[in-house]
Amino acid sequence: MTDTTAPARAGGMSWLGRLEGRLSWILLGLAGLALPLLDDSYIGTIAERAFIYWVLSAGLNLVVGYAGQIAIGWVSMLALGAYTTAALAAGRVGPEWNPYLALAAGGAIGAVFGVIVGLPALRLRTFYFAMTTLGFATIVTQVALAWKDVTGGGVGTPGPVFPWPFEPGWGFYYLCFILAALATWITANIGSSRYGRALVAIRDAEVAAEASGIAKPRILMLVFLLAGALGGVAGGLFASLQSYITPDAFTFEMSVLFFIAILIGGRGSILGPALGTILLTALPEFAAPLVQWSTFLYAALLLLIVLLVPGGIADLLDFKNRRPLTQHREIVPRIELLPRVLDQAEGGHAIELAAIALHFGGVRAIDGLDLEIHSGEVHGLIGPNGSGKTTTLNVISGYYAPSSGTLRLDGAPLPFEEPHARANHRIARTFQTPRLVGAASVLQNVMIGGTVHGEASFAEAMLSLPRHHRDERHLRQAAMLALATVGLESLANVRADRLQHSELRFMEIARALMLRPAFLLLDEPAAGLSTEEIRRLGALIKAISREGTGVLLVEHHADLIFDICDRVTVLNLGKVLAAGTPAEIRSHREVVSAYLGA
Amino acid sequence: MFESIVSYGLAVGAVYALIGITYNVMYSASRVFSFTAGMLGMLGGVLGALFINKWGFNAALGFVLVLACGAVLGLVTEVLTVRPVLKSIEQHLYVLSTLAFALMVQQVTAIEWGTEAQPFPVLIPIDASSPAGSIWGIVDQKFWLPVLACIVTIGGLEFLYRRTLIGRAFLAIAEDSYAARALGLPETQLRLASFALAGVIGTLAGFTGAQMLLAFFGNQSILNFYGFVPVALGGMGSNRGAVIGGLALGLFQQAANFLVGGIFAAVAVFAVFIAVLLLRPEGLAGAPAARRV
Amino acid sequence: MIEPLLEVKGLAAGYGKIGVLQGIDLTIGKAEIVALLGPNGAGKTTLLKAVSGLLPCTGSIRFGGKDMSGAGPREAVREGLVHVVEGHRVFTQLTVHDNLLLAGYGMPRREIGPRVEEALAFFPEIAAKRADRAITLSGGQQQMLAVAQGLVRRPRLLMLDEPSAGLSPVLVDRVLAAAARLREAGTAVLLVEQLIEKALALADRVYALARGAIVLQARTDEPDLPNRLEHAYFGQDVSAPLASP
Repeated sequence: MTDTTAPARAGGMSWLGRLEGRLSWILLGLAGLALPLLDDSYIGTIAERAFIYWVLSAGLNLVVGYAGQIAIGWVSMLALGAYTTAALAAGRVGPEWNPYLALAAGGAIGAVFGVIVGLPALRLRTFYFAMTTLGFATIVTQVALAWKDVTGGGVGTPGPVFPWPFEPGWGFYYLCFILAALATWITANIGSSRYGRALVAIRDAEVAAEASGIAKPRILMLVFLLAGALGGVAGGLFASLQSYITPDAFTFEMSVLFFIAILIGGRGSILGPALGTILLTALPEFAAPLVQWSTFLYAALLLLIVLLVPGGIADLLDFKNRRPLTQHREIVPRIELLPRVLDQAEGGHAIELAAIALHFGGVRAIDGLDLEIHSGEVHGLIGPNGSGKTTTLNVISGYYAPSSGTLRLDGAPLPFEEPHARANHRIARTFQTPRLVGAASVLQNVMIGGTVHGEASFAEAMLSLPRHHRDERHLRQAAMLALATVGLESLANVRADRLQHSELRFMEIARALMLRPAFLLLDEPAAGLSTEEIRRLGALIKAISREGTGVLLVEHHADLIFDICDRVTVLNLGKVLAAGTPAEIRSHREVVSAYLGA
Repeated sequence: MFESIVSYGLAVGAVYALIGITYNVMYSASRVFSFTAGMLGMLGGVLGALFINKWGFNAALGFVLVLACGAVLGLVTEVLTVRPVLKSIEQHLYVLSTLAFALMVQQVTAIEWGTEAQPFPVLIPIDASSPAGSIWGIVDQKFWLPVLACIVTIGGLEFLYRRTLIGRAFLAIAEDSYAARALGLPETQLRLASFALAGVIGTLAGFTGAQMLLAFFGNQSILNFYGFVPVALGGMGSNRGAVIGGLALGLFQQAANFLVGGIFAAVAVFAVFIAVLLLRPEGLAGAPAARRV
Repeated sequence: MIEPLLEVKGLAAGYGKIGVLQGIDLTIGKAEIVALLGPNGAGKTTLLKAVSGLLPCTGSIRFGGKDMSGAGPREAVREGLVHVVEGHRVFTQLTVHDNLLLAGYGMPRREIGPRVEEALAFFPEIAAKRADRAITLSGGQQQMLAVAQGLVRRPRLLMLDEPSAGLSPVLVDRVLAAAARLREAGTAVLLVEQLIEKALALADRVYALARGAIVLQARTDEPDLPNRLEHAYFGQDVSAPLASP
């Protein structure tokens, strides 16, 4: 159907992978188009049901499979869309609407409530959001029962009948088919765009997503809007398919079907959940004795998947990533490429911290800290555990708000507690424990770092317009260049969770370089590296600073600090114990004892 | 009308409060919110009607058996859905594992028990003509039973947490499970025990509330949600908050049902729930948790 | 030769993919104070966690003649191998007395009471506050309480992880003095400490850990120890330790 349907999880865009993806879609599409030739209305109805469920699941897939938000009650969107469409078309609210307009209204209502139900997901994780969607499904059913004027209460209301060209029979079939194809196309476009990568990053590495400038609330809202709209449209079709709807038609258990279809298909895939939906819709029809037990079996399957293969069944079939990688790989950074990666036009920037103080509960983590980081310098930050090094880094990168003190960039105040706003100031960072999307390729992980450089809007990406393609091309080139610079070019298409720990550290630096950072904050980049790797890392960091980037290096390895830093600040108990050149620090008796003890 | 709002509201509120406590008891020992809370409430009614109405046990035996089943289900929940997930990296998968298990139990109930709501037996035979009966008969037992169960549960938990070593061990695990493990506290056994306890409390809620809510498989999702609202209002882990929140919710719901209608009641509860989650996720009564460094 | 109290051989441990420790050999004799020093991130806390069973590890751990490899913290505590974790993590919502009772969880009822009194005798100032909730204690008092919790089981080996962190010098001496008294009573102590001079003054022997490996072990009465330690930490290459006995 489209050339961008290769799912994000397929990792690198190997031609084989692309063809496999496209071929499956073409076959599915042809089968869908040709199905009326069978002239079997029973099979036609099953197919219509599968298409309708998929319209909803395609949107839900972005919420669940990509963004990792556990929306367990999305059947409520189906109910909202169904009642809206049915009530408007039947003239229960004002004059009778044209059924197609009523269907659009169903989508609009779904979109509105998709956003409302999604609100808690912006601030709270998992269980609360799951409970909200469940609660909403409960409420919708209760309202449907009570609001007799509009919904017909327990008695129900007739569903809409669509006029020409999609009149009942094969006409309606093609309406479902077209909308299912459309849902596939737009969600696949989103999935393979920088928005799709951002969603997956929010799912698997939220703090890294924020540090890359991804504004979680905005993008989640857009996705909830889309998923709600698709759910509403599916509901309108569902009402027509059922020809008569009652609250009983929208049981909470139906949500499980949608959910399990996505889980079976694998998180972050489009084709997998589509096949899952078709399978789960058709299965009970061909195994009649099982119908009664189907929800039980789905729930049991859900439990089994969660316990045994949390990545979904598609993970089991991921043969491409079973191929063994070369052993004894070496990371050889190519420092000569750095000028092309960074292209620093002007230097002379400075981040200044003055009298920063911050405490957690009663514990003073930082107690009056002054620190300056300048372009073109490597500034080392050392000190015993709990002396406030990482906390300092988190203040600069916007995760914590200190209780007092100022933070300035080139003299202008930097707002606290806005981590996603740092990317626009070209302040990049890495993490003590590498934060990555394990199921995505190394290349895609690095591309996440350049999200803020994309120009195409959500709608442009959804419709696969030219600006979106240009974004993708630029991000891909930049990411390959960054990977070549840190020496991981050959691993670009490998799933990130197959990398060694040391390789992940370099991958994080490549991701940070995607911002063309004016400042780079490194949190213990040498931890877990071999002596030779530390030497190469040191040379890379030094070279990055010589391109004009200001580097803040939090590190335990004293030799690395003393080798490459221009200035060193020693923290103890949240205060500056000493600051100066490496040579001055080395001869500082108090430092030696505080630091050694640790 | 006022009387029926208060009596019905307090009774339903007490059931919500007990389900909220069920969530809390499991949460304290494991940091897991389990969707089995509503399932336990639902089963309290269905199993009670099964044992007493269908199988003809007397009320006391039926009561004990129901609570025993609750305890067993609590243990199964812990072993099957919580323990394996706590070991894995993606701990939030407990949302799905507990939901899946609760749905499986609900489906078995729907198939074996039926999808129609069925009546629950009167537990305490009351002879309205006797002097004692006239006193007890003033307020129907279906209203005071859940309230009594709520009072007994709160009292029992207070005693457990304040007077017994195992209760203190629960509190210790809830506050800092790492330090508790280092001290040699049997974390796994304590978690098992708390899930069994939650099973008892959850089925107690369903059993005492079933003359009002009936033995109905669909109570599961309703209790799951309305039992969690008090937890969100009162702050997670706070049993006092759950009781106040539960009673307030019950009274509000009944008042709104009588005065403005069910649509408004349902929508208003949901709107308040979302607003509290967004504006005060630590609950109306709770204080923001201080983090440890 | 008498078997040492604790004998660790070829221990390796880490978190997920990140290996922190490898090839650790370490012994502790009866009633011996051993200091474990090393720069940040060297793996000192990880080593304590591995020994006490809080973190899975490979290699062999023998304690008091028993094989403890693969044992969990409960088994370790029962054998008298007690780990006082860093950061005075007491249970703030419980009273001082309840905190100590919990440390004896699982012991026969009538034994716990006297043991709690015994532990409190080490720290009179928290004994005076036994009925107060631990949240009302100062950081130093909480640390004393944490150490006292470790004493309730009359351990044969007490592992203290940075007991002085965040304490005033006077309190540090009080806590460390308790370690010295324990030695007289026959208890061995493994001390992770950032106050290097105090640790060396107290300990009989010292191990230095850097980058997940033991880079030095020595008796504390050997000459020139501070300088050798400094060398061991700042040494350019751990594969060639500067000092090994």
